[in-house]
Amino acid sequence: MKKLLAIALSIGLSLSLSLPLALGLCFTGGLSAQADSITEAELSEITAQWKPSAHALADVNCSSCHQANETKAFVEKPNYESCQNCHEAETDTFLLGKHGIRLLEGQSPLTPSKARLPMKPEAHGKQMNCNACHNVHSVDTYQASVDSCLTCHNDEHSLNYKNSKHSQLFLAEGNLERPSSSSVTCSTCHLQRESLDSGDNVLVNHNNTYNLKPRDRMASEVCMNCHGMEYSFNSIFDNELVNSNFSEPPKIHLKSFDMIRVLQKKREG
Amino acid sequence: MASRSTKKRGIKSFVNIQTIIGSAVVFLLVWLIATMAMGTEQKAIFLPGVSSEGHAGFEASCASCHDGFKKVSNETCNRCHEAELAQDIHGEKKFRDIRWAEKLESLDALTCTACHGEHVQMYGRGVHLQPDLCIACHQGIIEGDMTSHEGFTADGCWTAGCHNYHDHRAISTGFLYDNLDQAPMLPVQTVPEILVETKLETAPSPDLKGEFLGGGS
Repeated sequence: MKKLLAIALSIGLSLSLSLPLALGLCFTGGLSAQADSITEAELSEITAQWKPSAHALADVNCSSCHQANETKAFVEKPNYESCQNCHEAETDTFLLGKHGIRLLEGQSPLTPSKARLPMKPEAHGKQMNCNACHNVHSVDTYQASVDSCLTCHNDEHSLNYKNSKHSQLFLAEGNLERPSSSSVTCSTCHLQRESLDSGDNVLVNHNNTYNLKPRDRMASEVCMNCHGMEYSFNSIFDNELVNSNFSEPPKIHLKSFDMIRVLQKKREG
Repeated sequence: MASRSTKKRGIKSFVNIQTIIGSAVVFLLVWLIATMAMGTEQKAIFLPGVSSEGHAGFEASCASCHDGFKKVSNETCNRCHEAELAQDIHGEKKFRDIRWAEKLESLDALTCTACHGEHVQMYGRGVHLQPDLCIACHQGIIEGDMTSHEGFTADGCWTAGCHNYHDHRAISTGFLYDNLDQAPMLPVQTVPEILVETKLETAPSPDLKGEFLGGGS
């Protein structure tokens, strides 16, 4: 009888330790399923954003995203799968990076509160989806290329962007539909543009982790689109310069280049 | 007297060793099953160590990498890392060559987990690499075979940032030769331009309305 009592007690104790976690999960799950209602004025504003957008002019209408293909059921909040129908490569690469991997693995979207890098406290609950960075109605990638990143990211490198020469180039070109190839935004380096096929088909690689490490990938695939090799490598391997968001020319000098010069002299002479 | 001895026996029998072990086993089992049955996030308590930067975001999703207690396979890694390995210089092609095949005896280079152990101390590159990894095959390079590299430390190949085990394109002698003495700013910049072609001059009429306001169309 006492053994039974002890066993019952241990079952009770173990369940009481695990159940609050489960209840917490159900509660937050319930909250996210709640519907948002919008007013007529908000709908007019959204329609006005959409009208001059690339989506509208490509005949992508409300129903293209807000209606299920087969059942024709209304979809209040389309998810990344809706975007994937047309932007397959962008979505597929997004799902492989830190921003999207939780979605690929069937988990709740990433929130800045889960990040190891410093994030803005007011953005901690923001859920990482396509529309976390993109205003899907105005389809304005100008905003997505800098402002969206700085909504959450709060580390030294990110905050110093606005003082950088790269940023001056971006600001000088004014508010375009999308950043031109002559300015440098956060996404120029972290979501690099890649020419596919013969060159006209350009993919924006949305895997934000792809060229971070090892750093030679960033140097050779991104920096060297504009800068010489030594300038690129001497910059990217200087932690202080990375933190300052490349506020000045590189000060370090990698030994590899001296070694290759010695070899060059030897072979030529 | 009689009642005191009964009380003593009562406490003794309640705390006897069998009951303690039995209760502890039941406690652990129920706790384990209850936790496993819950959401993925709760499984984080089973993590044996610190996760790498890239994997930390979904570290509680055990099934993303683990199929029960089987060894993590290359296929699992390739599910996400195909692009990083597209130019793998130390890939299968290399070790099918008879000149290099026997090197696999020094290091199981064709198995991702031979070098990339998860849940262990991570180094600066986001993965756990044995610091002297390259030396398993390339010891000669720092011991006289290559004058320029003589006396370099065994872990310097990658900790110094020079070599990338899977992709040699940006460190090969040819690459360095071709790009030496370039100006800080290249004469031609090559970031691709994005051109969006649209088919309409003006937007069509929005085809849904009532649905957004909570009613029918």
